Order: sequence, then structure tokens, then C-alpha cells
Amino acid sequence: MIRLHGVERVYPLAKGKFFYVLRDIDLDVAEGDFVSIMGPSGAGKSSLLHILGMHDHGWTGEYFFGDTAVHLLKAKERAALRNEQIGFVFQSYHLLDDLTVYENLDIPLSYRHVGKSERAAMVADTLDRFQIVGKKDLYPRQLSGGQQQLVGVARAIISNPKLILADEPTGNLHSSQGEEIMNLFKKLNSEGTTIIQVTHSEKNAAYGNRIIQLRDGWVV
Amino acid sequence: MLKEIRFALRSLAKSPAFTLIAIATLALAIGANTAVLSLVNALLIRPLPYRAPQRLVLLLQHFKAQNLERIPVSPPEFIDYESRAQSFERLGAFGYANFNLANSNKPERIAGAVVTAGVFPLLGVAPVQGRFFEPEECKPGRNDVVIISERLWRQKFSRDAQIVGTKLLLDGKSFTVVGVMPEGFDFPLQLFNLGAGGQFGGRADIWQPLAFTDKELQVRYSRSYFIVGRLKPGTSLAQAQAEIETINDQMRREHSDNYSQDGSFGGDVFSLKELAVAGMRPALLILLGAVVLVLLIGCANLTTMLLARAASREREMAIRVALGAGPMRVLKQVLTESVLLALLGGMVGLLLAVWGVDLLKHIGASTVPRLREVNLDLRVLAMTFGTAVGTGILFGLVPGIACAKPELTESLKEGGRSSTQGRRRNRLRSALVVSEVALALVLLTSAALLMKSFVRLQNASPGFDPHNVLTMEVSLPELRYPDNTTIVRFSDEAQRRIAALPGVQFAAVTTILPLAGTNSDSSFAIEGRTNDRNAPAPDEEKREVSANYFRAIGTPLIRGRFFTVADNADAQPVIIINQALAKKYWPNQDAVGKRIVMGGMSSHPTWITIVGVVGDIKHTGLDAEPKPEMYVPFAQDPYKSMIFTVRSGQDPRLLASAIRSQIQAIDPAQPVANIRTFEQVIADSVAPRRLSVLLLGVFAGAAVILASVGIYGVISFLVVQRTYEIGVRMALGAQRADVLRLVIGRALKLVGVGTAVGLFLAFFGTRALQALLYRVSAFDAPTFLLVSLILGIVALAASYLPALRATRADPMIALSQNA
Repeated sequence: MIRLHGVERVYPLAKGKFFYVLRDIDLDVAEGDFVSIMGPSGAGKSSLLHILGMHDHGWTGEYFFGDTAVHLLKAKERAALRNEQIGFVFQSYHLLDDLTVYENLDIPLSYRHVGKSERAAMVADTLDRFQIVGKKDLYPRQLSGGQQQLVGVARAIISNPKLILADEPTGNLHSSQGEEIMNLFKKLNSEGTTIIQVTHSEKNAAYGNRIIQLRDGWVV
Repeated sequence: MLKEIRFALRSLAKSPAFTLIAIATLALAIGANTAVLSLVNALLIRPLPYRAPQRLVLLLQHFKAQNLERIPVSPPEFIDYESRAQSFERLGAFGYANFNLANSNKPERIAGAVVTAGVFPLLGVAPVQGRFFEPEECKPGRNDVVIISERLWRQKFSRDAQIVGTKLLLDGKSFTVVGVMPEGFDFPLQLFNLGAGGQFGGRADIWQPLAFTDKELQVRYSRSYFIVGRLKPGTSLAQAQAEIETINDQMRREHSDNYSQDGSFGGDVFSLKELAVAGMRPALLILLGAVVLVLLIGCANLTTMLLARAASREREMAIRVALGAGPMRVLKQVLTESVLLALLGGMVGLLLAVWGVDLLKHIGASTVPRLREVNLDLRVLAMTFGTAVGTGILFGLVPGIACAKPELTESLKEGGRSSTQGRRRNRLRSALVVSEVALALVLLTSAALLMKSFVRLQNASPGFDPHNVLTMEVSLPELRYPDNTTIVRFSDEAQRRIAALPGVQFAAVTTILPLAGTNSDSSFAIEGRTNDRNAPAPDEEKREVSANYFRAIGTPLIRGRFFTVADNADAQPVIIINQALAKKYWPNQDAVGKRIVMGGMSSHPTWITIVGVVGDIKHTGLDAEPKPEMYVPFAQDPYKSMIFTVRSGQDPRLLASAIRSQIQAIDPAQPVANIRTFEQVIADSVAPRRLSVLLLGVFAGAAVILASVGIYGVISFLVVQRTYEIGVRMALGAQRADVLRLVIGRALKLVGVGTAVGLFLAFFGTRALQALLYRVSAFDAPTFLLVSLILGIVALAASYLPALRATRADPMIALSQNA
């Protein structure tokens, strides 16, 4: 599904020097994989995730998503591809505080120009699937951390992406809440969704079927 | 306190853009306020330049049945009032006059007045040189003395210390200067609304004793003088009014031949101040309202800016409080900053006001003469200072209170996001922008209505064709023109010479020019209609015109004929009337051929035959309906004061010099005054209105600029505040268009609510303008719609840049900053 070849991410510093966040990354992820990217702080895990999620465009190398050469696409084309194929789950949930749970789920669909009635049906299905129908009119500040992350995951999968990218999805949660989220990921993966997560937790990594170690920007 | 001021200065210096915009906003608002306050102070509040002016009154008469109000008195009537009234310390009579001053260069017409000996003493202003008039000098043959103004003394005599005793040649006669009035002395004020301030009435520079002739003292119905009086201490206006009514009753009984007995004749006592200001008050109050709105919008702008600034300083304030600062201390710091801003803005505003007032005087003093008196005196400076400090406290209070009670926990944590207090402040900021838009809409709507009305007024037909017509005034001195024959001879010769000039199509004279601010009327009787002694005789406006007058000004002939040169003093008396008079008195008949007699019916009436009916002319104003008017041949009833009207096939101003030469070829000592095209006469008649429209337009423009700055500021701040949210949305798939729609949509929502509120307020507020509007409703829908559209476009423009900035938000940075 995903192939990276020679991907590098560099930030310029003063006096002509450079800081390498990622160096010569080669990576293959097959469809249906549940991959955990691990490594110490500053290893480049989140940067790699954002490159995979097509949020970051400042990298070099080759990136194939299916048959599509992402490295040859313009930013707008990448955004369209991302909207279609990828869902993102953030450590800090990143729900929109002034929107209800329903509206937070609706937002990604509205940006994909899905029709109103179809959106309503998809949101209703997702609320039901995640058993949060009763919370649809609540605001994020009225939910617990675990419930917010649940909504974050629901938002990530509402448009049926092929790939979910999760950046420390349980980082701000209690262990029991974290377990719930990881079990959910496991379930989604068993239903065919490819998942790539960044995690510090060995326990969370164990939910996946593959671990990639990063150190100082290199895959080790 | 010094510490707070030092810190405030440092803090403002660190944010130069914010400080400059704040000062500019305040300067605009306070400057406009100061300028208009100066106007209001000088024109409405400041006492008239006489001793104890609150006790000065004018006494005028009315004939209610004939719709004649505020008309002058006759000499016998003045004598009656003067001898019988007990409510006044003193009464004096005066009339407008012009003098032809002969000097070495060329003759010059000087505006002046004739006054009885009591006038200057009762005004309570002493001459700086010489003396008042003596009562003996107010007799025919003894009134060859004058008092001059300081301005004339300065301009013509270089403040010659020996001026008293100097001989002046006025109207071909020698007069001795006996006194000089002080600088700034002005009487009679041109805004007494007595109808003589325009034509033949400039600012008086020469005063001559008023000496009633024996003939004048016999004639009760020839009213050309006004009465000024000083109430006795403790006497009210109402008491004086009651006494005057008693005297009028006595006059009616004692001279029943001269007054109808139906009670329509009477007198009115007016406060001098009230007469001077009444005409200006509505416009000035509207202007004052406008600048108050501008000030409020400015304050709202400043409050939103300071609220935004407070939000960015939340952490600083939280630290201060955590270190022990009490709420009052924090409030004091914020208020110091806002008052400092206001004082700086006030100082710049004062400069703007000085320039603004100078500009106003430059463009408006010729049409609103008292504008000359406008300046920034101590009272206005104090009001400005008070306004500055008041606005500083006003717009600083809300953010000050917000800063004084920060949410410590949220603010001291790194990256606290959407707190309850933050949401409250956002709502407050939004509410302020909505108010700004609403107020700007009210102001803009008012200005637009006045502009539309003014355009309609300017396009209103005056009843004649003013294009390519030159007018000029000539006042013949009695010494050289003692009788009608000499006057007519001069007039005929002048018209003949002028008509012979290349480019001249028609040359004529009239005694009263339309839209020039003067009037004259006469009572008459209609053949075959016996007047009831108890009912008032018809009384309508009357002018004296030469044969080519109507051709010269382009008024159409409806029935009958124009005058000809054969309608002279030896011919049968004839008269031309306008359509309004024909409709009023001969509604279903042909008025041509009917006969009237001037004054009352007598045993041997001199019948005057109506020979023509002309179109109606707007005489008192472009916005006034034409009144019934009658015209007699100048040759049959000449006057020494006449106005030449000359129609040309080209720019008539090119003829001015040639016409003056022709007149002075007849009489080298005869000055020609007030040379204006007829278009200029019309423009002058609407000049006060034009000034109001201009000023209101400027203030409305300022309000829109301020409101758009407010919108820009709020939306910019919104974008900064919502950078994280925009980043998340972009991470979730929002495209550039979606972000633009989000930001601009928010702006349009605020402006939409503001517009709705503003329309509601304008609906009631513009009622105050109805009296000033000409053929435009105060609820003119197209104007309201246009203004709403303009504000919408302004909002779009103001929010576009911040919206564009929002599209450039990097979701990566936004997300990482708030992780």
C-alpha cells in the first residue's frame, strides 16, 4: 500500500547548516498492516507520520501510495488524495471546541463535498457504531479524555479511509481509556483498515503486527 | 502614578502599529467632535457680542390673515411703541442701508445701517474712538454724521488716529465720522432672519442716524424698519409680549383706517439670540449627533483593540496578580494606558480641529457669516480635554476590568485554549463590531439621504433659466437722483448701453432678485370685490421690473403680454401677475384685463390693468412653493436700489467689466456691487445646506473608515485566535475556499447583524432629518438598501486580507503549537 524510498526531511539552520529530521527512509507497508513506529523523543516519528499523512510537503525522496507517485503530485492533489484515503488521529484529539460531537463528525464529510442527507446518514451510522449517539449534542469540553479520543477516532474513520495514522493516540488517556482505544483500533484493523501508529508504549505496540524503530532520523 | 505612566509609555512604544492606529482613531473622533463643538459653542451657546444680550429683543409685526410674519414696522408705529411701552429700558429702530463711498480709486458700495440714537447705547457696546449719535442728529438735515466699523477704519483709513472728524463722501454727500465701533462689533447680525441679509445686506461697516422724514411719520402702512429693545431687569419676554399686544390694540382702535379689525394684525417680541440661532439650530444639532456617533464608533474601535491587546497580555496580568497585584492596581495600569492614548489622540485631534475649523471658515463664512466668530476658546478646549479623558476611561474600562480578573490557572498553563472568559470577550468584541456597524449605518444613511435631497434640490427648477445670466446691484444716491425721472433715466440709459454690448441678448432691471433673500409686498384691492372693513385686504409680493426682465431671466409668458418700453410713467398703469396669483384670485377666469388698485380702495382709485400672466418663480428657496407675485413696470414705480439682470450668449462673467464700464460711463461715481451669475445666486441660496451635507458626508466617511478598521481588527484577531482551529480544519480536508468562506462568512454575519440593527435605528433616527429633506422620504428604501450594500462591500474588503492570511496557516504548525 505504501512505499517510501530514500525519503529525507531536512530543516535549514543558520550559517548554511542543516538539521536532518529523517534520513534515507525506506519503508513498505502492506494493506491490512498494523504498524507501530517507535523510538526515543526527537527520533522523527511524528515527522514521518505527517509525511505519510501528506501534511508535510518539505521532504525529498519517493513516496508511493498504492500506484500513485505522491512525490510527483502538487500540494492540492496530495490534499485530495489524503482526504479520500487517510484518516488522522491526534494525541490531543484536536476536536473543534465550538462544534458539537455531531458537528465534529460532520466536518470532514463537508470538506469532501458529500451531500447533506448522505452526510447525515454517515454521521448517524458512526455515532451508532461507536455508541455515542447520546453524546451527539455535547461539546468536547463536556466529554472525558477517553470520550474525546473516541470521537477523534470516529472522525478519522467516518469517510472510510483505507489508512489510519495515529500519533500517540493514548498519550493523554488513562490506561483503561487507552485500552479501549487500542481495542477499537484492533477491531478496525481486523475489518481491513491499515493502521500506522506512533507510540512510546510497548503495550500499545503489541496490538500491532509490526514495529519500526527510528533513531536520530534513521530506521534501525 | 509616575511609574504607571512610564510603564504605559514603554508598553505603547513596544507596539507602534497599535499605538498609531489607536491615536489616529481617537484623533479623528475627538478632532471631529472638537470642530463641531466649536461651531455649536460659537453659533448656539456663546452669548451675542453685546452687553447682557439675554435681555435684548426684536419687535416685529404680523398680519396672520395674509400669512405675513416677522415684518418690519413703520415710523409712526415705532413712535407709538417707544412712547407707550414700559417693559423696555429702551427701544431703537434700525434699517438696512448701503452707501456709495467715493474714494481715489473707484467708487465702492459699503453695506451699512441707519439707526436711531438709542440703538448703540441699548446694545451696550461703546465706540473705541469718538461717541454715539446724539438724539439731535436723528433729524432730517442733521444726520450728516456716521460711525464706522473697525474693519473699515483699518482697511480704508489705516487706523488713522485722527479719524474722528474726517469727512467721507457718501452718495455724493459729505458726512463726518463721529465714532469707530470696536473690532468684531456686528449689528444688525445677518442671521436675524429678517430677509435682508442677502441682497443689499452685507456686514454693516457704516452707521448713519435714522432720521424719519415728515412724510414717513404720516404713513403707517410703509413698513421698512425694525425695532431692537432691551428688556427692563426682571421683565420677562411674556410680559413684554402682553404689553405689545395691548399697544397694538390701541393702534387698531386709534387708526382703524389702517388696520383690519379682525385681530390678524399684531406684534411679536423675539429674543435676539433666538432669532440669530433658530435657523441654524436643527443643522447644528444633527451635526453634533453625527460627531457623537463618530466618537462612539471610535470608542468601540478602541475597546475592541484594547480587548485584543488585553487577551494577548493575559499571561502578563495573571503573573502580576499571582505576584500580589490587586485588581484596582491592574485596572489602574490599563486605565493609565488608555487615558494616555486618549490624551495623545486628543492632542492630535485638537490640531485636526484647528485645521478643520480654519477650512470650514474658509469655505463657509461667506454663506454662514457667523462662522467668522468660530474659534477654539477655553470652553471648547476644556470640553475637548474632558472628552479625551472621558473616552479614555470609557474604552479602557472594559478591557481593564477583564485584565483585573484573569483566569489564573488557564492563563498560567502553557497554551490554554478556549476558556470561558475568552469566549465572553469574543462575544463582547463581536457585540462592539456590531454596534460600530450599526452606528456607521445610521450616519451613512443620514448622509446619503441629505445628499440625495440636496441633489434633488439643486436640480429643482427655479421657474426661470439661470444659465448665462449675470446680476449686479446698483444703489443710486438721493443727492444725484432725487426723483423718479432721474432714476428712470439712469436705468433706461444703462439698459440701452448694456444691451448694445457684444454678446448681450437681453438687459433688464428688477428691484427684487429671486432667491437672494429679500422681499417686498403690497396690499391691494380688486375691482368689483368690496373689502370687508373687518377682513384683511389682499397682500401679495410685489416687484418692479423693466420690459425685458422676463426675457432676461427666461420666465415664460402664459397669457397676455410682457411689458414694453411704452409702459412708462406717462402710460396707463399696468401689472403682470404670476400663475399662482391668478389661480388664487381668479381661479376659473382669465386674469388678463382685470383691474386692481394698490393699497386700499379710495374714492378715486388709480386702476392698474393686468396685461399678462407669467410662470411661477421660486423666490424664497428652491424647496419652497412659489407664492403669488405681481410685477409692475420699473418705469411706473422706480426705486433707487436696483439689480441689473443681463442674459448673454456666452459666459456672462466675461461681460462684468464691460457692464461696469458702461454704468460708470453714465455716472463715474456710481459703484456696482455684488456681481454674480444667477447660478451663483442659486448656489449661495443653498450654500448652508451644502455645507451641512458636506460635513455630514465627511463624518459618515470617517465612520465607515472607523467601522472598517474595527471589522479588520476583529477579523484579524479572530484569525489569530482560530489559527489552531483553521489548522485542524485544513488537516481534516478544508481547502482554501473553505477557509475563506469560514472567515469572511464570520465577518459578513457580524456586519449582517450590525446592518439589521443599524437599519432599525436609522428608521427612527432619520425622522429627525425630515424637515431638512427635499422630496426625499426619511424612509427612502433605495437609499437604505444602497447603504447596506456599501457596508457589506466594505466588510468584505476589510475581512479579505485577514481571510487570505488564514488560508496560509500551516496545519502542521497549528497542530504542533496546540498539541
